[in-house]
Amino acid sequence: MAKTNLWDERGLTEEQKLFKESILDWAERNLPLDRVIKMNREGHPFPKDIIKGLADLGVIMGTVPEERGGLGLNWKDQTLISEVIGYIDPSIATAAGFMAVSTGWGFTIDRYANEEIRQKYVQPAIRGDKFIGIATTEPGGGSDVSNFKCTGEKEGDEWVLNGEKTFISGVQEAKQIGGGYWVNVRTGPKLPEAPHKNMTAFFVPIDSEGLTPTEPYDDAGRNAISTGGFIMEDVRIPEEYMLGEKGKGFYYTMEGFDNARILIGGSAVGVTRRILEEAADYIKERETFGNPLAKYEGIQFEFVERYIEMEASSLMVNKVASMQDVRYDEEGWLARTGKAKTYSPKEIAKWISMIKYKVPHLAKDTADDAMHWLGAAGYSSEYIFETAWRGVMSYCVGAEGGANIQKIVIGRETLGPDYVPYK
Amino acid sequence: MNGECMKFVVCVKQVPDTTEVEVDPETGTIIREGVPSVLNAFDEFALNVAVQLKESIDEDVEITALSMGPPQAKDALTKCLAIGADKALLLTDRVFAGADTWATAVTLARSIKKLGGADVIFCGQEASDGNTAQVGPEVAAHLGITQLTFVSEIEKIEDKNIICKKETDEGFLRTRCPLPVVIACMPTPGFLPKIPNMRDIIKGKRKPYEEWGFDDLGGEEEDYGLEGSESVVVRTYSPPPKGEGIIIDDEPETAVNKLMEYLEKEGIL
Repeated sequence: MAKTNLWDERGLTEEQKLFKESILDWAERNLPLDRVIKMNREGHPFPKDIIKGLADLGVIMGTVPEERGGLGLNWKDQTLISEVIGYIDPSIATAAGFMAVSTGWGFTIDRYANEEIRQKYVQPAIRGDKFIGIATTEPGGGSDVSNFKCTGEKEGDEWVLNGEKTFISGVQEAKQIGGGYWVNVRTGPKLPEAPHKNMTAFFVPIDSEGLTPTEPYDDAGRNAISTGGFIMEDVRIPEEYMLGEKGKGFYYTMEGFDNARILIGGSAVGVTRRILEEAADYIKERETFGNPLAKYEGIQFEFVERYIEMEASSLMVNKVASMQDVRYDEEGWLARTGKAKTYSPKEIAKWISMIKYKVPHLAKDTADDAMHWLGAAGYSSEYIFETAWRGVMSYCVGAEGGANIQKIVIGRETLGPDYVPYK
Repeated sequence: MNGECMKFVVCVKQVPDTTEVEVDPETGTIIREGVPSVLNAFDEFALNVAVQLKESIDEDVEITALSMGPPQAKDALTKCLAIGADKALLLTDRVFAGADTWATAVTLARSIKKLGGADVIFCGQEASDGNTAQVGPEVAAHLGITQLTFVSEIEKIEDKNIICKKETDEGFLRTRCPLPVVIACMPTPGFLPKIPNMRDIIKGKRKPYEEWGFDDLGGEEEDYGLEGSESVVVRTYSPPPKGEGIIIDDEPETAVNKLMEYLEKEGIL
């Protein structure tokens, strides 16, 4: 029986079809499902050959402009790539490390960084020679971004940073191959009426003096990429390593979250598609009481419901990618024709929050269903489902923003700011 | 024939992905609905060989990927441009539809003539859907040039000659052949084609791509497509499955005795 294929290429451009084909061909040689299972069992750091392979393929930070080492891809292309990355590695280790973090945040770092950071960190990360990411969560909290404790004080031409960041993806990888992080610190007094003000973003190299990585966490899933943290004790960062303008870090950070979350949405569609395909192969073959499992409504109807939700999610991600393309087409025809003003950043954030909430939960629930359909086989690591289920839970509980935070953003934009449950 | 630079033409075909093909048990025909199309693997090998040869030659070489097929065959040519072809040409017209290998070769050969000829015309040894292995040799016949089939490796081009390795039943033949020539390429075991990366794909999309129809090639309509075909497909069917084999897994002496016993019992000996 031919393997189940749930991809529908008819809406894809010629280039997108080839992007997909190349990534799938590469994965067949380098990252088949049994290797995904094995590398998650063995744990971090993420295999160097896969980092280099992804970079050689050109999937990391494709949206960075060509003149700065990227490919100048639009967001529809990059979200399609993120979907294929989720498809080839449903544990989400690859997507979490190299789409959401390196690509979403790398693109944002590139936008606000100076030429030195671009050349020393961003472009090497595109080539797979360094790892760059985001460090925003602190031991005191993550969702309440404006209430962080890390500080930055100006001394001469330098900023002195202090505090601790935690639950950061890729610290061990950055330690191993070099790189650095987008770090938010408070650079002015906390204003009770506007706590999000006076936050400033810096690029902090992982090998900065005074920066000490903490022990990595033993996570439930996506174990091939590390989660950890670091303590900053009088870390001295040059003024030029400030990202964007002083005091605007909160706004840039929200933009970075948008860029990471949309790629999470794409990759979660890919995870769901792969789970459904792998499950379909099993339930069409496996017989019980004289019939294949797929013939029983209890299983078939659940499968169909997940399939519908997946395709609906795919359309939604595609819509949001179009909104992103309008947002970043600052110099292009969209801007010239006035269409670039179509969506406000808050409106885009609402849509991105919707996919960030919806699609990872769909992927997790689909993995959960598949484990029920397969029974003991689904629960074992012989199949991908339990690895996917543990991995994608990371997207649900908090990576790049917890589920309830997404709901607050969506509620604020649909019911109005008067109904925001916090100030 | 030779312009300012050496010219390679690589003939390619878009075929159904054979890993996903199923045969209708009643009609015996391939179920094409919903089956993705891919670049024929033999042709992909030929293109890889052509690109490697180009990279090994000091003088300028231009590679044209050439295909005949429906408009969606553009996808296969887009991939060729990503892998390393310099330009692509699709021969597409309703007049060309239904062509057998003869009419296909007529169409390809005329387009190659119109392109100004080529020093080396590469093609795959066969296509994975028809497996006739006829189109390459027929293109050579229509152009009146030499053909080399089952070529697994090209060593070099020197003094207007191509030196290559041709697989034979006994082993291989290292042969030298004057240009122009049609080379039908046979993938070597374990060959892995180049996977174009995202940058290759974007660059490929910016390369020249053209489509030609009947009006561009000229001649008579009956030269092409179904009308120009010399063969007729009467029926396609899957051969009946063979019965289950018997494996005798034993010590040699016992195994031979068991085998002899079986052959005698079946009346074979």
